[in-house]
Amino acid sequence: MNCKKVRRWLPLMVGKDLSPSKISSITAHLEKCPECRQEYDSYSLALEKTKEWLEEDKPDWVEREWQQAVQEAVKDKESVISPLAPWPFKKAWAFALMGVLAVALTLLLVIKPFFLGEGTAPDSELLSRTQAQLLGSTFQESQQEVVRMTMVLPETGQKIIWFFDKNFELEVKE
Amino acid sequence: MWMKNEDELVSEVLEGDQSSFELLLRPYRQGLLNMAYRMTGNVEEAKEICQEALIKIYRYLHRFKKEKSFKSWVYKITMNSAYDSLRKRKKSEDIIESQKRQAFDVSSDPEKQFLNREIGTKIESCLQNLSPKEKAVFLLRDGDGFSVEETSKILKCSSLSVRTHLSRARKKIRAQFEQSNLGFRKEVKSEL
Repeated sequence: MNCKKVRRWLPLMVGKDLSPSKISSITAHLEKCPECRQEYDSYSLALEKTKEWLEEDKPDWVEREWQQAVQEAVKDKESVISPLAPWPFKKAWAFALMGVLAVALTLLLVIKPFFLGEGTAPDSELLSRTQAQLLGSTFQESQQEVVRMTMVLPETGQKIIWFFDKNFELEVKE
Repeated sequence: MWMKNEDELVSEVLEGDQSSFELLLRPYRQGLLNMAYRMTGNVEEAKEICQEALIKIYRYLHRFKKEKSFKSWVYKITMNSAYDSLRKRKKSEDIIESQKRQAFDVSSDPEKQFLNREIGTKIESCLQNLSPKEKAVFLLRDGDGFSVEETSKILKCSSLSVRTHLSRARKKIRAQFEQSNLGFRKEVKSEL
């Protein structure tokens, strides 16, 4: 290794912040080159003095101020959220939970009548009345001119079609 | 007296024991303040940075992974707070002056005080000439004794970047010593 290369590495060499192989080759060079050795020593001394000064001139907390600073930090109670804390305390989980609950509730409201109605026969009279009401409202709203009803006889395959006009006059076609 | 280890203290804080938080941070209280002080050059500002860092440490303690170094994690948060503070404020001359004044009152021995003052002024001006990144790398590596790898993790940069900035910082500090201190050269020669 020549002087130029060694001098480039000296700032890191002084703190041994190089690979062991590089350190050993630089050390070998420093043993035989007084100029590089002098530069290395000046780096070493500058670093040593700086470290000494950094160590000596350390500001410290007044105990009361330190205690106040710690108290200030822990004052914010909602700040600590333990991984062991129950999930509702975590915001993301809380929102996800609310979403799931909303979907579940909606599904329950939609599906519930079917489950509740299971096992009980529908009231045929009520059903026909409701259907008639529905049809009636459909007629009123649509103001349809002609209504057609078809009946197919399964034995013969005959079709009977009823046509009603708006005056409810019946016309039969076969 | 039986001392609890960091993992136990972290668990206790997470379980809601606020008194454990002080015990957890006590070993680092001076180091953190010193780091913030070196970065900003002002004790009061450094205390504010540490306060902010303490709040963040408490708030995000649940994110700390126990297999990692707590010291590095704490320094990382403090360093980030110091960077934020540096970004927010414009460095003014009076802060540097106040820093110089505060740096002097170290020793009661007048001779030592004088020498410390002289060296302190030089080192302080050296540190002020470094960029924030160079200063951070230098203080972590040479001030607090973190390894290059630990420093790179704290500063979220590569080891190569740490070495580059460290090299520049040491060059600048040495150059400042060489320029300003004639006795320093004599001292080097006498040691050879």
